[in-house]
Amino acid sequence: MRTVLAKELRETLRDRRTLFMMIVIPTLLYPALMVVIEQLTLFGQRRLSERPAAVAVAGADTGMVSFLRRDSALRLLPPDSATVQAVRRHQAEAAVVVAPDSAGTRRVRVLYDPSDDRSQRANGVVRRRLEAFKDTLLARRLAGAGLPPGFATPLAVADSSVATAKETGAYALGRFLPVLLILMTLLGAFYPAIDLAAGEKERGTLETLLTAPVPPREIVAGKFAAVALIGVAAAAANLVSMLLTFQSGLFKFAKAAHVEFTLPWSTAALVLVGLVPLAVLFSALFLGIAVRSQSFKEAQNALTPVQLASTLPILVITLPGIDFNAALAAVPVVGIAMMFRALMSGGAPLVPCLVAFASTVLYAALALHFAARAFGREEVLFGGGAGAPAKGGWRARVEAWRAGPRRVPLAAEALAFVAAIALLYFHVGTALQSRLGERGLLASEWGLLFLPALLLVTAGPFDARRTLALRRPSGRGLAAALVIALAGIPLGWAIGWVQLQFLMDVPKELFGALEKLVTATSLPRFLWLLLLVALTPAVCEEVVFRGVLFQGLAREERMWHAVLASALVFGAFHLSGETAIRFLPTAWIGVLMGIVLWRTRSIFCSMLMHFVNNGLAVLVVSRPEVRHLLMSDAGEPNWWLVALAPLALAAGVWLLPERNTENG
Amino acid sequence: MHAAPITIRVRRTPSTQHSALLLIEFDRLSKSYGDLLAVSDLSLRVGEGEVYALLGANGAGKTTALRCLATLLRPTAGTARIAGFDAAREPLEVRRRLGFLAASMGLYQRLTARELLRYFANLNGIDGEAAERRIDEMVEAFGLGEFAERLCGKLSTGQRQRVSIARAVVHDPPALVLDEPTLGLDVLSSESILRFVEDARGRGRAVIFSTHQMSEVELLADRVGVIAGGRLAAEGTVAEIVAAAGEQNLARAFLRIVREAA
Repeated sequence: MRTVLAKELRETLRDRRTLFMMIVIPTLLYPALMVVIEQLTLFGQRRLSERPAAVAVAGADTGMVSFLRRDSALRLLPPDSATVQAVRRHQAEAAVVVAPDSAGTRRVRVLYDPSDDRSQRANGVVRRRLEAFKDTLLARRLAGAGLPPGFATPLAVADSSVATAKETGAYALGRFLPVLLILMTLLGAFYPAIDLAAGEKERGTLETLLTAPVPPREIVAGKFAAVALIGVAAAAANLVSMLLTFQSGLFKFAKAAHVEFTLPWSTAALVLVGLVPLAVLFSALFLGIAVRSQSFKEAQNALTPVQLASTLPILVITLPGIDFNAALAAVPVVGIAMMFRALMSGGAPLVPCLVAFASTVLYAALALHFAARAFGREEVLFGGGAGAPAKGGWRARVEAWRAGPRRVPLAAEALAFVAAIALLYFHVGTALQSRLGERGLLASEWGLLFLPALLLVTAGPFDARRTLALRRPSGRGLAAALVIALAGIPLGWAIGWVQLQFLMDVPKELFGALEKLVTATSLPRFLWLLLLVALTPAVCEEVVFRGVLFQGLAREERMWHAVLASALVFGAFHLSGETAIRFLPTAWIGVLMGIVLWRTRSIFCSMLMHFVNNGLAVLVVSRPEVRHLLMSDAGEPNWWLVALAPLALAAGVWLLPERNTENG
Repeated sequence: MHAAPITIRVRRTPSTQHSALLLIEFDRLSKSYGDLLAVSDLSLRVGEGEVYALLGANGAGKTTALRCLATLLRPTAGTARIAGFDAAREPLEVRRRLGFLAASMGLYQRLTARELLRYFANLNGIDGEAAERRIDEMVEAFGLGEFAERLCGKLSTGQRQRVSIARAVVHDPPALVLDEPTLGLDVLSSESILRFVEDARGRGRAVIFSTHQMSEVELLADRVGVIAGGRLAAEGTVAEIVAAAGEQNLARAFLRIVREAA
């Protein structure tokens, strides 16, 4: 492994792109950027202030006009320019319109254009001058009335920062430095990962390397260590360069604003420690994806969305009011970013930091496993066909697939179908529901979920019975499905409740809205709700998620992959801005339904589970006696039920029939 | 649905006649990619000091067969062995005894020739002084002196070819697997490969190479296997194959064999 690592490092360091990203950018960019930004800002300010602001004044008396005129930063224009049009056309930078005296007060309105820098500045200058004039008038009035100057100022309020310049600097640093550091770690690992995996494949060196008497895992380890080291080195170089730039005194603004950017060595060291698993995560993820690509370009295309997906969420750390809690700490990349923010701002809570670090180590290990698996698979390394690895892969497979019987959609087809449906549901379904209310919900379930699924399996070249798992369930299968659903539901509630207690603050009114939707006041209303909230989703959502999606995934993936992936998509489908908390409980029920479907091969079993799950929700909300049996008023589940649930779940799984492999 | 192949199995070559040490062996090897059967029931043997040419059209299964031997692909059925070690079960033992050369040459652009040789020497467990001695020998043997310190990416095709041969034999393997080694090379560059193969035979190495160049086969091969549709359609010396096909030269014989096998 060390041989591979040393060689990869040597070769990578000879690559201009990597060197550029690692050394040139950090050492030159920050000082240059800071100087350029500062100079440009100063230049702009100077230009703005080098000539007086042209302000038109209408309705002012001679006293006010002469007071304004005495300010050299102002150039007064005639009253006819004091109009909205004149300011909009930039004939005047601002306009002061003074109304006649009314009960001792003259109202003054300043017209300006906030989308124009000069107009903004003119507004500021003239406002300050007017305030000064007001003070002069006030002082004159007070003197006239024989009152002391402080008479009209019973309270003089001023604020004063208690933070030291260092603390203010640390706060500011914590908001943007982590973003840059993570971005640079990622970019540092980006090209080496592509080069060491896809690049090596493209140049034909990979097969030579794999004929050397070294186990593939050592090759992966060596390559991956090289990429990770380069990522960490890039981040460290950025960190050092940034700090030197701040401390060099080049950044005059910071001094003027009483802000001091410093980072204690201990903090910098902790940040570096946190960067290591992050670099490992990025390198392993990038390597794992890059090695699945046949060329440098293909890998670049495949990695770009991953790069975006990994960087955009870290912008969350720049937002105010986001607390660093254990839940946020466990979010990949964001957790570490929050940890850096906390460390740099000087108030790092221990538990979230540990969670962030440990979860990142875990994600890194998973990513490493993903990368190592790719290196061990010949179809990944050499495509699918002999002699033409670049083309053989999926094309050959697609050809073979086309030639063969096509009963169930491909995983990619199923995912594309669900993505299309989700878009449709999001845009059309939401509009329908806001316009037609409950009838809109009914229409969108049947029209936007059920109908497209039906069209896909009947119009497409698929076997509708297989794709939708339309198989008569056995009595035992149905019984098992019922037991598993009843056992799974309290566990789902428990997941939701725990999530609410510890992880997120969700406004209670959201539940009110949900409850209103499913509250029944009469029997017909109850039956209507059962149709709307329980039966309809049980049919419409099942044909999409356990039908097309699950069957498509199960065709190519292992059972667990299909179950988990379909459950996650199912959970994500129930996400919206208001109902983020439904994700985990929904995905949990999705997992159970996936397992039952796998074993029984009948969609009617998962439909039953879906119906029971949603129907019980209707019952709980509309019948207080049922609700009290199952949960408290605050929504805390009956823990006896939760404790018994795993037993019932095990019984249900035991009851499940073995998966029958005969066609049906 | 293959027609009955012309199969000539004449055991007259030195390796098999004089029970020379068997170094390369395919035993009923099959390899499929999904439904596509790339190599089917391939059996052949190459002994020490023998050069075996695997002749076939594009997509005939040559590369797949050689990749199975080089431990890069796992056979679907049967075995590929080097010096008695099974490529699927004991890949590391096989790799220690194997020199692999492909048309792509497999050179790292940003390593010098000497660094590249050192890297592969190290990967093969030759370190320190021993590695340097071996690299010096390689530089001497393949005439790399002038450009040993130059980056591989800056070398001419002929120079790269020489470095790549040196790389394949830096650990002095008893068996050499060459997958279309002269693909895309001009006559001069090809010549260095041809000389290398002849030299390897003289030193008792077993060489198997794939090609669709008849001239190379006629020049080098002790025995030839014609592979068509993944199957070994004919095997023997060049003369035997030409005679059995009832043609005047190897090119015509090859065409006939391939047509009849289709």
